[in-house]
Amino acid sequence: MAIIERPAPTVPAVVTPTSTYGVLKRPVSATGWRSWVFTVDHKKIGIMYGATAMFFFIVGGVEALLIRLQLAAPNGKVLNADLYNQMFTMHATTMVFLFVMPMAAAFANYFVPLQIGARDVAFPRLNAFSFWALLFGGIFLNLAWFLGGAADGGWFMYAPNSGPVFSPTNGVDFWALGLQITGIASLAGAINLIITVLNMRAPGMSLMKMPIFTWMITVVQFLLLFAVPVITVALFLLSFQRNFGARFFDVAAGADPLLWQHLFWIFGHPEVYILILPSFGIISEVLPVFSRKPLFGYPFVVFSGAAIGFVGWGVWAHHMFASGLGPVSVAVFSLTTMAIAVPTGVKIINWTLTMWGGKLWFTTAMKFAIGLIVLFTVGGLSGVTHSVAPSDTQQTDTYYIVAHFHYVLFGGAVLGIFSGFYYWWPKVFGKMLNEKLGSWNFWLMIIGLNLTFGPMHILGLQGQPRRMYRWTEARAGEGFFNLAFWNMIASIGSFILTTGILMFLINVWVTWRNPKKAPLDPWDARSLEWMTTNPPKEHNFDVIPTVHHLDEFFHRKYEEDATTHTMKQVATAEELMAEQERNADKHIHMPSPSYWPIVLAFALPIITFGIIYSYLISVVGGVIVLFAAYGWALESSTAPDSDFENNTPGTALAIHD
Amino acid sequence: MTDVTHDHASSTGISNVKLGMWAFLGSECLLFGGLISTYMLYRGRVTGGPRPSQIFDIPFTSVSSFILLMSSLTMVLAVSAAHKEDDRKINLWLTVTALLGATFVGGQVYEFTAFYKEGLGFSTSLFGSSFYTLTGFHGVHVTVGIIMLMSLVGILKRSKVPGKKAEVVEMIGLYWHFVDIVWIVIFTLVYLIPV
Amino acid sequence: MHKTLKSAVVVFVGSLVAASCATNAPQDTWQPKGPNAKLIDDLQQPVFAVAGIIGLIVAAAVTYTVIKYRDRGQPIPEQTHGKPALEITLTVIPALILAVVAVFTFGAIFKLAKTDDTEMIINVTGQQWWWEYDYPVQNEFGITSPIISSGQLVMPVGTKVLLRETSRDVIHSYWIPALNGKRDAVPGRVQTLRLEADEPGIYAGQCTEFCGLSHANMRMEAVALSKEDFAKWVANQQAPYVVPAKDSLAQQGETVFLNQCVRCHQVNGLMRADGTPAIAAPDENVWSGAAPNLSHLMSRNTFAGAAFDLLSKKCRDEVWGAPSNVVGAKYLAGVTEDCLNQKDLRAWLRNAPEMKPMYANPADLEISNGKYRGMPYLALSEDDINKLVAYLLTLK
Repeated sequence: MAIIERPAPTVPAVVTPTSTYGVLKRPVSATGWRSWVFTVDHKKIGIMYGATAMFFFIVGGVEALLIRLQLAAPNGKVLNADLYNQMFTMHATTMVFLFVMPMAAAFANYFVPLQIGARDVAFPRLNAFSFWALLFGGIFLNLAWFLGGAADGGWFMYAPNSGPVFSPTNGVDFWALGLQITGIASLAGAINLIITVLNMRAPGMSLMKMPIFTWMITVVQFLLLFAVPVITVALFLLSFQRNFGARFFDVAAGADPLLWQHLFWIFGHPEVYILILPSFGIISEVLPVFSRKPLFGYPFVVFSGAAIGFVGWGVWAHHMFASGLGPVSVAVFSLTTMAIAVPTGVKIINWTLTMWGGKLWFTTAMKFAIGLIVLFTVGGLSGVTHSVAPSDTQQTDTYYIVAHFHYVLFGGAVLGIFSGFYYWWPKVFGKMLNEKLGSWNFWLMIIGLNLTFGPMHILGLQGQPRRMYRWTEARAGEGFFNLAFWNMIASIGSFILTTGILMFLINVWVTWRNPKKAPLDPWDARSLEWMTTNPPKEHNFDVIPTVHHLDEFFHRKYEEDATTHTMKQVATAEELMAEQERNADKHIHMPSPSYWPIVLAFALPIITFGIIYSYLISVVGGVIVLFAAYGWALESSTAPDSDFENNTPGTALAIHD
Repeated sequence: MTDVTHDHASSTGISNVKLGMWAFLGSECLLFGGLISTYMLYRGRVTGGPRPSQIFDIPFTSVSSFILLMSSLTMVLAVSAAHKEDDRKINLWLTVTALLGATFVGGQVYEFTAFYKEGLGFSTSLFGSSFYTLTGFHGVHVTVGIIMLMSLVGILKRSKVPGKKAEVVEMIGLYWHFVDIVWIVIFTLVYLIPV
Repeated sequence: MHKTLKSAVVVFVGSLVAASCATNAPQDTWQPKGPNAKLIDDLQQPVFAVAGIIGLIVAAAVTYTVIKYRDRGQPIPEQTHGKPALEITLTVIPALILAVVAVFTFGAIFKLAKTDDTEMIINVTGQQWWWEYDYPVQNEFGITSPIISSGQLVMPVGTKVLLRETSRDVIHSYWIPALNGKRDAVPGRVQTLRLEADEPGIYAGQCTEFCGLSHANMRMEAVALSKEDFAKWVANQQAPYVVPAKDSLAQQGETVFLNQCVRCHQVNGLMRADGTPAIAAPDENVWSGAAPNLSHLMSRNTFAGAAFDLLSKKCRDEVWGAPSNVVGAKYLAGVTEDCLNQKDLRAWLRNAPEMKPMYANPADLEISNGKYRGMPYLALSEDDINKLVAYLLTLK
């Protein structure tokens, strides 16, 4: 693939508006930090989501390493019991809510509009608000470390251990209120992406021609839409008990602690699919590209994704097989849990068959995708063993479960995310990541993760429970391969895993300092996001494409030879790009930057801070919310005609609406 | 709240804002679903405090429920006025809707005060905690609706509404109807069905 | 890479199997010692095997595909979109396998939930961070007055025991892997768990629902005794209090105990100087219910929520390592002065919170609204500790 020097774009950059009739003047600077802080561009927001998620990945990773250091040997002294309990609570909370979910949001924000041929999301300001709310919520959650200790009840925060008597510090308050803020962010993001996908697809793109990544993201947004309010209720009940004296989980008043478990897991199990489906989507894009074949059984993959989305609502109580639900409930949830394994299996079969008969190109992105197939299968199969409720009563709350969900979440979600990094990096930053370092990254991560989480299967089956700040030799067994050995291996593995992840950061740093410019279509890709520049222009496409095929971009480049059924190239990406630029729309009107999203988002932690310390502070936050909401409502999302500086016909961008 | 950036007609034919509101209300169903379930689980657990049947004043709440239902009617009239672009009538019906809503919230405040005096505090019992939480959440929703209605009246007066007027009125109308429907469910389950 | 992957899987599965045989971890879930655990094991072993085989098939299929279809310069393949018949077949096969598993699972679920064949009832109460065992009156086992114990659950072999679990504070979970799966002890609820041991022995367990600060230190053991040995144990538990010999160190220890310990700990039959029974009043100081009842303390092998051994290492190994025909006798011998784990017991009396984190710090009284839990630092002198140890040794 030759790199062709392309002519300078014929469409000028969008002009900045100077004023507005809202409460404040619009932000006008499109450069420097302001261009990020006040942006409503889905791509910039996507990048900020990604950077935030990466930061919290490192935070959560350090917490994980401290945990493994503590458990490397019996009677660990690295952390005390109190600190350890905070550490595993925040490790899970951080990884789930502040790493995987925002990272999925990063990919979704950046690529969903590009994949469906749109210029932005449906509600660009709401999109910016979602991001800022997530960031401030995440910071708020972690503030607890410095203000008397973080939450210490586990990420599942079972009542009544989370109540004011059993967890007297403010940690749980920060946790519950912080998650409310990130919940608002998720909900707003979900509504935004659902409407974007439903309403803003390029002409000709029916739902069954939609790229699979966008499909999986859509399923996830629906899961979020209906799961977030359930945890919202649970968190309200918890906060009201802790802060306002409600009795919801007070056993003395007759409360049933299982109420929390039901609410939490009705949210919590869909949450598992919220975490994994985006990565399923990513590798369902990566595998066809590097196999040079369409996704095998696209409709099956779509429907199995949707089926997982539906059945995912009926399996929550499998987290409660030891809680005492009664045999009938246990049997029912056992059955539904087995049922959900079927659509999940369908995906694994389809990925393998996508590669079958292909022409496989083992880039780093492809390696991560293949790694996901194999390692997620391990996690999926151990998941099936839990669906057998009686045997789950032996395994639940042991390290076997820790092994299971790390194979699912690290072997699944995280490998998918890394596959996405390598696949889409050139698209986002216009630079290639180094494949050699990528290979180190991949292999160290694979070895590290198997060494870390593999032995946990054994630890669990040999009876080591989870969430113990120390373990004792008295229960470690005899012989060389006893629990002490496997604990040590897991701890060593965690450092190898860390080295693998460091390789990624080194890769980013090296290729940033010494960039290799990305070709227009480095992977000979298939979907619409590659049919534009690297990185894309602010308005994404010079001309909105009309879609005729699933894998539209591929079918514009290749045609099937009628006799031999082989594919032959009819156009290069560069030619397609040049053609677009020749026919560029003259009237592109992008949404304008706004102050309000960040102001509104910033008011949220002020309110929650006030709930913990003084209601006066909350009032201040409330006033800011009202002020920002009015400013928001009075400002139209796209600045009016008169707001544009050089509004000379022909050169600038006119109004379409 | 009208971030419509469109380069072509929406794929579904429904505007972004309206579809967005539908999605939000779908989410709200689960929120109220969770709160109602909590109440239904806990309504009989009174630990020495008053029982529901001892404090509920069904005739009073029926009247205030009726007032709230009537506000749905006036909201419909406001939407229809918006479609006819009759600014005077939009203002009139939006204001009436807000006033009816405010009457309902006033009734709720009165009711809460009366219950409190009869010995049902927020911390008294599980019944108290879950009753006040459920109906309080609904009251907050009505209040937010009133604020939106009044803001809309103010903004319309200065004809500063971004986007299409009817669209905005309709969107707030959707929210308002939803809040009313939720009240019908709450009224039936909380007040009418005996423990 | 794919060979490496494959061999990694083989090594992994192999070591999994090898590891579970090679060691003898006390809480191994694959070594059932009673009918309930056996029922689970019979169900899970084939499931593990099938899961393992499917895992290997997937790994092999991926490996084969990856090798066979790597880019050797072949042309871009035909853009086929799938074969529905193949898809449906490959969907139905796992569904059928799971249907078979489901049938057996259902049977086991209902068998494990049965309570109508119970032969003996023991009430189990969890609290931060120890278990209380309360044997209600059951004349057929010689239990003519309630027995209250902690740390070690003593039960007769070959008897269908039903635990009735609850909790005094947060949720705990009772788990003796060799005898059954786990069941949560939920405050405000009573939930049941079947236990039955085939042979006499000591079976280890651990609280498996996160229950706060010292969750890691909340352990338990089930001691299964032959029916004769169990009768002896019951008789000993019901034996009256023995007042320490006059002017002995133990008698001075009794005085220290009355001054320092009876606020929380009960010893049945212990009288104050004025002749009134010394009844513990735990709720005054320790919010989460009682502290362990110390009557017949030395008949147990552990203390402080089974977190520490009362037996010295050597004596402990003798009991735990004893074959099933003598383990009962060894256990019933209790803790003698020679066998006492002086080090840990004294350290505990010296400063309990240092050995086991608890919310016992009086400085936390304020934030916990006066409700602290666990044994506080009592500032006992070494002299007092000597006396107390001597006294505790009399609680046979």
